[in-house]
Amino acid sequence: MAHRRTFYPEIEPYDVGQLRVSSLHTIYYEQSGNPKGKPVVFVHGGPGGGTDPKQRRFFDPAVYRIVLFDQRGCGKSTPHASLVDNTTWHLVADMEALREHLGIAKWQVFGGSWGSTLAIAYAEKHPEHTSELVLRGIFMLRKKELDWFYQEGASAIFPDAWEKYLAAIPEAERGDLVAAYHKRLTSDDPAVQLAAAKAWSVWEASTSFLYPSAEFIAHAGEDAFATAFARIECHYFVNRGFFEVEDQLLRDVARIRKIPATIVQGRYDVVCPMMSAWELHRAWPEAQFDIVPDAGHSAYEPGIVHALVGATDAFRGRAP
Amino acid sequence: MSNDIGLYPEIEPYHAGMLSVSDLHQLYYEESGNPQGRPVVFLHGGPGGGTEPRHRRFFDPARYRIVLFDQRGCGRSIPHASITDNTTWDLVDDIETLRRHLEIERWQVFGGSWGSTLALAYAEKHPERVSEMVLRGIFTFAEDEMEWFYGAGTQTLFPDAWHAFIHAIPEAERHDLIAAYHRRLVGDDRRAREQAARAWSTWECSVATLMQDPNLIAHCEDLAFTLAFARIECHYFVNGGFLERPTQLMDDISRVRGIPGVIVHGRYDVICPARNAWRLHKAWPDAELVIVEAAGHSANEPGIAAALVRATDRFAGG
Repeated sequence: MAHRRTFYPEIEPYDVGQLRVSSLHTIYYEQSGNPKGKPVVFVHGGPGGGTDPKQRRFFDPAVYRIVLFDQRGCGKSTPHASLVDNTTWHLVADMEALREHLGIAKWQVFGGSWGSTLAIAYAEKHPEHTSELVLRGIFMLRKKELDWFYQEGASAIFPDAWEKYLAAIPEAERGDLVAAYHKRLTSDDPAVQLAAAKAWSVWEASTSFLYPSAEFIAHAGEDAFATAFARIECHYFVNRGFFEVEDQLLRDVARIRKIPATIVQGRYDVVCPMMSAWELHRAWPEAQFDIVPDAGHSAYEPGIVHALVGATDAFRGRAP
Repeated sequence: MSNDIGLYPEIEPYHAGMLSVSDLHQLYYEESGNPQGRPVVFLHGGPGGGTEPRHRRFFDPARYRIVLFDQRGCGRSIPHASITDNTTWDLVDDIETLRRHLEIERWQVFGGSWGSTLALAYAEKHPERVSEMVLRGIFTFAEDEMEWFYGAGTQTLFPDAWHAFIHAIPEAERHDLIAAYHRRLVGDDRRAREQAARAWSTWECSVATLMQDPNLIAHCEDLAFTLAFARIECHYFVNGGFLERPTQLMDDISRVRGIPGVIVHGRYDVICPARNAWRLHKAWPDAELVIVEAAGHSANEPGIAAALVRATDRFAGG
């Protein structure tokens, strides 16, 4: 394997804040890198995953003004794990509110997994504010994608982890596992909620890497993380991403075809399998399409880091 | 890619021959290793895949009497690519004919992919002849296993390779791809037969290893290999493996209980997903299950080959 690009060094934010985006919700945001640099917004996954300091490191800090924010209800945003007024279109509006708050005219939008969903939704609504798109582990929140991961598909490859995911739900309710999990994740009983949240999150963490990561699986099972992650994800999934139609993101791809873009996909991504990236690529051939042959879903897979850093590096020279 | 993946050194057979098993079919077989050693029979995949010299190398030649043979119609067996009198039960009988011919009382049965199917079919029919089983890349002909590889499973991860596989067939016939391929593979049009054989084999070879292997894909496009492989495989698939029902091998698994075994399966085997091995392991707890992370379907995957050699080493002394 040829030399691979790795993360930029660790870096601290030069600015952090809380932005009030509704009478209920306040979102955490931070800026790092070069304050006069090319703006980029990092859109995290889940939904409900929150940001991590490591995510600053996909971008050259000498060149980029790096904006991270925690979407409603997760990470350091408050109220924690709240599902009230929490939809795709609220998040798109929050990104606009944050962009205006920071006085940024156009920014690069970078997101993987659910971050790719939200990035595409944002760009299709506000193409004039999107300078480039860097997308990874494409997820368009269609029924077949949810079925693959939560009902039947990934289960064939990870029968051992799947057994634990199934065990949390009585046999009679297994015909619609997302609905069965949703019932528990929105239960009034905190113990029921937490047990379901852990099983839901651990299933995803167990299947996200080519080589399983015990550290990542342990983190996914932590109470606070699992609760926000599972509740918010499941809420979005039972509501089908709050899209007007099933394939809304593909349908509206014409709106973003002129935006320079890179799509990065792990061949062995079983969380968001390559079929979706392939369909996006066929609908949007102008976007560069990088298949990483030895990677699963996670943004931290070595081959994925290499491709993502390569993509942001390649866009460094483009005007903000 | 290095071949140094934990296999025993290259070895030549001390005996090779052709065995007549019917009016029509003759099978190539060979023995290598130690003539006084523990007998093992290697069952190759496909069906139609044939054996290769490297298949001898899963076994310690000092301790094993290693028997390889080419199943009906493939490898050096003749008539080449024939699908006449070519069924699972013909092959099971052939294994018995060969065993008696070699005057072996019991032997270890080693097989991967279709070789695991045939090993189970053989062991369920003749459990008293099987000392141990070492199985890899489990395939039992369950309906969801066929549906996985020729339906909604593999294509979800390999949409690019799938695109090529389905575009070899006109759109009007794609509702039943296996039948459409079968018509071409057994038809009289030589050009259509060869094209279909190449597309059929390329689909499988493109997804057989974790990292796509250009040598393997080139091998699959080689006409002598691919005609036997695609014709025989498709013939078995349209006939449901000649089983009474798709669940037969799992239904009858109690017949092999008590036989020690090892099941080796690649986590990222996208031809025969790990679920197949998981189910077999639950039904046959005498067998140890080894899931090899970051490995695909092929027996040549580094982690797979090493796990298989560990399994045969474990049984070598017993």
